Amino acid sequence: MSAPPEPGDADADARPALERAAVRFRPVGTAALAGALVAAVWLAARLVVGDLSASVETTFALGSLAFGFGLLGWSGAVALGRGIESMQAHLDTGTGWTEADARRAMARILGFGLGVMLGATAVGSAVSAFVAAA
Amino acid sequence: MISTRFVLKRLLLLVPVLVGVASLVFSILHLSPGDPALTIAGERASEEFVRQVEESLGLNDPIWVQYGRFLADAAQFQFGESFIIQRNTPVREVLANKLPVTLELALYGQLIGISLGIPLGILSAVKQDSITDHLTRIGALAGISVPIFWSGPLLILLFAQMLGWLPTSGRISVLYNVEAIRVTGLVTVDTLLAGNWDMFVSAVRHMILPASVIGVYSMALISRMMRSSMLEVIRQDYMRTARAKGQGAKITVLKHGFRNAMIPVITVIGIQFGGLLGGAVLTETVFAIGGIGTLLVEAIKVGDYPIVQGTVLTFAFLFTLVNLGVDVTYSVLDPRIEQ
Amino acid sequence: MSTETTTTNETSTDVDQRGLVDRLTASPFVSRLLSNRLALAGIAIIVAMVVIALYARLFLDLDVITQSQLGTNPNRAPPSLDFPFGTDGQARSLLPRVAYGAWYAMLFGTVTVAASTVLGVGLGIIAAYYGDVTDNVIMRTMDVLLAFPSLLLALALVAIFPDDLGLWRAVAALTLVYTPRFARVVRGAALTVLENEYIDATVALGAADPRVLVRHVLPNCLAPITVQSTLNFGLAIIDLAALSFLGFGAAAGTPSWGLMLSNGVSQGLLTGVWWWSFFPGFFLALTVLGFNLLGDGMRDALDPRMREAVD
Repeated sequence: MSAPPEPGDADADARPALERAAVRFRPVGTAALAGALVAAVWLAARLVVGDLSASVETTFALGSLAFGFGLLGWSGAVALGRGIESMQAHLDTGTGWTEADARRAMARILGFGLGVMLGATAVGSAVSAFVAAA
Repeated sequence: MISTRFVLKRLLLLVPVLVGVASLVFSILHLSPGDPALTIAGERASEEFVRQVEESLGLNDPIWVQYGRFLADAAQFQFGESFIIQRNTPVREVLANKLPVTLELALYGQLIGISLGIPLGILSAVKQDSITDHLTRIGALAGISVPIFWSGPLLILLFAQMLGWLPTSGRISVLYNVEAIRVTGLVTVDTLLAGNWDMFVSAVRHMILPASVIGVYSMALISRMMRSSMLEVIRQDYMRTARAKGQGAKITVLKHGFRNAMIPVITVIGIQFGGLLGGAVLTETVFAIGGIGTLLVEAIKVGDYPIVQGTVLTFAFLFTLVNLGVDVTYSVLDPRIEQ
Repeated sequence: MSTETTTTNETSTDVDQRGLVDRLTASPFVSRLLSNRLALAGIAIIVAMVVIALYARLFLDLDVITQSQLGTNPNRAPPSLDFPFGTDGQARSLLPRVAYGAWYAMLFGTVTVAASTVLGVGLGIIAAYYGDVTDNVIMRTMDVLLAFPSLLLALALVAIFPDDLGLWRAVAALTLVYTPRFARVVRGAALTVLENEYIDATVALGAADPRVLVRHVLPNCLAPITVQSTLNFGLAIIDLAALSFLGFGAAAGTPSWGLMLSNGVSQGLLTGVWWWSFFPGFFLALTVLGFNLLGDGMRDALDPRMREAVD
């Protein structure tokens, strides 16, 4: 699963769709790669210590925590962004919050979480395949 | 005018919200210390039976398989059957019974909050620094300081026990059978639909205290936001000009200013709907109204995970829906926003 | 606060030689605060509660308060000269129980607020100092946490911690709920401080990151942090009591206000035993009001530039 499509932007500008998608998904992809790496290294370390299947579960659950959180934040920013921006403009309590910033940050978090989940899945299935073969 | 396409695009956001919440719920259930199989089987169950339950719940599958299944189930709002609270009843059924109860409470609470908060906020702003202004602001501060689980019992003791004007708890007098006339699940609506005036009066009398308790919170927040938003509008140039031109023009502009001032207020109304659901948990407990608030608390306590999942997702769904409604309202108030 | 901020920094050697009391009374923040009558009322309430809490902790016997006194005292007695707040369903006098509740509220409230202050200060300063992606990821995460209704988030978190922790479970959950509020305030205040030129000068002189943060940024954020702590102390006490009220906090029999209220609601309402609900709730609401009054006064006494960060 990749970052959800952005409603409202489809006809926003004329750049080629592929290029725009590449720009948009780059932070998500980088974060996902980092997440997968972290998960793999962590699980490799756990493999030495002992109970791997429990570690895979916990790692996957932590990944889905980050993923869910990021996804929720992302859609929250999209859904409420205009309202919060206009509320701040009206009340002059500018904390510098912008919808674009919030979306970008959340994309990183959900990407990282997704990476961790995928990493845990990969390690987990590799190990169970190995165990089954042995 | 709001286009259907715009509303549909907004509704599409429900998908990532619900997938996000479902992932959060999934992770929390897996990270929390309880063991669902043991909860269902009971502490004294044989090891073999516990293993059987584990197998039937799919707890032995790899976690990513469980995650995928969980999302697929959640998409169909299918959470299986309640473990403990209403054993062997589908979660959907339990929620369908309890949801209208909370919804009705929140609706009337919000109604009280909005219908008192907005005029008070405007009054406070127009008469800035007068006694009315100070009283309103102190009232709002007190409204936030007094916890629902104290103001509720005090109102019950005063109006129900001492004065005997209103009923103590529940949704309607026990003499009436609401289930027989159930259509929407909202007692005030169902009794009207059935055309039974006595039952309707009973339902309204039961609603007054809990809705007021929960409405005071909304009122405090809304009046504060309305005041500052209205002050902002009053200070603008065109208002000064209007004031110089005389009373008639002033009223016209106040009307126009009100429209502008409403935009941030509506955001607050939407966002604090979540707080309202939190308040409903406490209010339902105080007034012995069995809605999904008390259901959630009970389910967390005893470890009835299917119920927890269903309730949390329902809360998220409602909250998002309300806020999407808020978003659409902007476009009505200020058509420029849609671009 | 900006005026005294700059003076403290310019004359830091001078300041160290003066006594604490002199320093405090010379501060425009404190003098503005002391001229606010509502804030003074708040201080009076808080001091009274602290005295009650300490008295209860030092001089009351917890065993007598928690164990059933059936047979010794009258059961469910209304308030009288012997039992000013009446007795409960196990014949325990409510006065010492309510007084001991003040100790629990203060103790657990302090721990919750202190822990979330420390976490929030750390995150907020790091976000402000490093800026860019670090700032964005930390603060947007805090925003999402802030968007959750606090009681519902606390309920979800409580479920994660093992239930033999008792009230500490509620404290842990609420600490996580309150951290974002502090992070936001501290970040705002720290950014204001960082905009000052002398920080640039310090960095140019070669001071390492942590030193700049601890020596220069943190001291200048103290006023808004204190205000935020005060405002949130009241809320923390309510939320702790709410969790106990719902059954996720103190163990049965513990003299915590939330638990006493829960008992008053579940067993006292229909029988009209008003004193079970009235007294614990009254002290709870009074304490919260004290903190809200003081917090509001403190916010008004803050320098406008810093006030923007606290909302």
